[in-house]
Amino acid sequence: MQESTTHHAAHSVSMGTTLLFATVLVGLIACLALEEKLHAKKSIIVGLFSVITLLMGDVFHILPIGALVNVFDEKITLPVYIPAVDWGVIAIILGSSIFVDVVSRSGLFTWVAIRLTKESKGDPLKLLYYYGVMTVVFSAVLNNVTAMIIVGSLTGVSLSKLERGNLLLGFLFIEGLLTNIGGLLTLISSVPNIIVGNAAGITFIQFFLRASPFVLVATVATLILGAKLFKIKSLTGDEEKSKARAMVESFDENDGIETEAFFKFSGIILVLFILTIATTSVLPYIKDLGMGYVALSFAAITLVRYKSRVDEFYRAIDWDLLGFFVGLFVVINVMEHAQVLNLIGKGMVPIIAMGEKLGTVSVMFGAALFSSVTDNIPLSAILAKILSNIGTSSDSALWWSVIFGSNLGGNLTPIGSASTLVAVTIMHKQNLKVSFAKFVKLALPYAAMQIVLAAGYILFFT
Amino acid sequence: MSSVDQFESIFKSATKVRFNYQEIHIQTVLLVNDCDESGRNHLLKFATRFLRVLESHKNVDWILLNGSDFANIEDLLKGIERHRPDLIVTYRHLHSESWQWPYSLGEHLDVMTQVTDTPVLVLPHPKKEGGIPERLEKTDRVLVITDHLTGDHRIASFGVVFTHKNGTLFLSHLEDEEVFERYMEVISKIPDIDSDLAREKIRERLIKEPKDYIHSFQDYIKAQNKPIHSEALVDLGKHLTEYKTWIEEHEIDLVILNTKEKNQMAMDGTAYSLVVELRDTPLLLL
Repeated sequence: MQESTTHHAAHSVSMGTTLLFATVLVGLIACLALEEKLHAKKSIIVGLFSVITLLMGDVFHILPIGALVNVFDEKITLPVYIPAVDWGVIAIILGSSIFVDVVSRSGLFTWVAIRLTKESKGDPLKLLYYYGVMTVVFSAVLNNVTAMIIVGSLTGVSLSKLERGNLLLGFLFIEGLLTNIGGLLTLISSVPNIIVGNAAGITFIQFFLRASPFVLVATVATLILGAKLFKIKSLTGDEEKSKARAMVESFDENDGIETEAFFKFSGIILVLFILTIATTSVLPYIKDLGMGYVALSFAAITLVRYKSRVDEFYRAIDWDLLGFFVGLFVVINVMEHAQVLNLIGKGMVPIIAMGEKLGTVSVMFGAALFSSVTDNIPLSAILAKILSNIGTSSDSALWWSVIFGSNLGGNLTPIGSASTLVAVTIMHKQNLKVSFAKFVKLALPYAAMQIVLAAGYILFFT
Repeated sequence: MSSVDQFESIFKSATKVRFNYQEIHIQTVLLVNDCDESGRNHLLKFATRFLRVLESHKNVDWILLNGSDFANIEDLLKGIERHRPDLIVTYRHLHSESWQWPYSLGEHLDVMTQVTDTPVLVLPHPKKEGGIPERLEKTDRVLVITDHLTGDHRIASFGVVFTHKNGTLFLSHLEDEEVFERYMEVISKIPDIDSDLAREKIRERLIKEPKDYIHSFQDYIKAQNKPIHSEALVDLGKHLTEYKTWIEEHEIDLVILNTKEKNQMAMDGTAYSLVVELRDTPLLLL
């Protein structure tokens, strides 16, 4: 959100008005938590709330309606809801999703996935480890949802081929949990990372160096626990091994490759994309334009491959997700002007004041609990805004408590994150019945272990 | 690509059925005939010469079941049961003059192909004007006919066994164009499905699977140093017309086809038409 709007955030608002807007915010969060019950998409829920809050904001005269002044002292007149949106975040999500969509057409990701399947020689335990690592890496490089879709759909096909349908639930479940671990690896791996990282001023490299040791430990621990609890073991007999090897050998990793040239180009441009994103904060000129510019530029370059069919990719964009972000930023901006965020911030002060260690861990547990029942994006956006408003320094562990809490909380329930929801959808598609309660029962040991590990990590290593 | 279904399709497509050679042993061949002695000798001479590919690995026992050995179908089946051959060689219209009217197979052949599991090699009728065509010297150019080649390891393995050294085995797969057009017509009336895209993609997919299977077959014969060549004939078309064209174009010596249909007692419909009409080409009926 632009600086010009936040100057107005401190103006005088009555407590009654603040409480009225706070009630609306609670209503929004409740509606998002009940999204499935309401049979409504996120974008329409948040969109309606943004319409209501904007109107209320105007009625109560709390919105900074009027011209903005840019760095050249030029006046610009924009609708009040335009500068309310963090367009940098929108650009990153839009650009990287188009980029990933085009690159995936080259067959690159499916090639990697099938090569790993063949490398496992059909051994279930090796397959779990390989798919687990692949889930984490894909979540980090692409996004949690795409990673779960790719690995989850391959898991269904390969376990069916290996006649190991009895292991499917365990595999999908562990992969679902690992998407949220992988989502912690880089600044662009998940939306809470982007929002909180941007607000805190954490660079890509700083983020990676801080988060990667935890991701490594949590991945290994989750895989070991998963193999034990779901009884996923290695093959022992020679005949069994040779049969499994023959079964996975029938996969052809080159089947999905359109052309070799595009395949190679995709590999190279993916590496370039990661390198450019990683070094955006230090690259001359690029650092001024930001990661959103990088993501959109790479999307435009790769789209040239399909220059006459770009409309196919425009249709595939997740407009619900983008609409959700735009609406959410508008609502949060109005809440900021209504002093609601200030009120929540004041409420958090006693928690933060519990001490550097206890306060930080409490914020993380709170964030995790909240993320487990509703979307972690509004939570991270609100908390990032509050931490920013109270002047939290960029090296404070509080930022990391929000990042870890909002990502890992998604592992507690099937609705805690979009990727676990995709995992459950694949389970249902494969006729595996997993109720809300069963998911929570299965997830609890993993989520508890990950959150405790994260608490220890934040306290001692950040 | 953004949905589970899209990626599932990609991974399913990448799972290919690879050719798996099935051992086929032909040690005993039963020549069922109703010829007189001279005709019988001539027929035996032709059959042993034509099928000399079977002698390449081991000696084959040729047994004669003559017309005097069976007066009816029951006797014929008893004779087959007694000798338990690995291959039956015969021709249409045994103990009948109907061979002059090319509209049926004759009751003996009709029953034989369905009752026994033994493959039956059907030769042109020896009494036919001009006799057995002279070009039929050996199984140099063999055509495997099926409308579902992928995964049919048995028919392809028979192709390997019956193709003469340095000969060419044509593995074919013909999708019924009329059935395809019928589905396309239905699809063209469904607004949710892009008709042009469906036509392009379904056609592509129907052709791709058998081609992939034939590639795996070619990999196999290369890896095993089998002394034969292999070519793919994969298309959409009208069964009888297209098969006849292929046989003529590629100067086929032997056609191999499946005749049994799981859920019926009679011969498979397309196979029956082919066996009735392709009277100048030896046919191996499985």
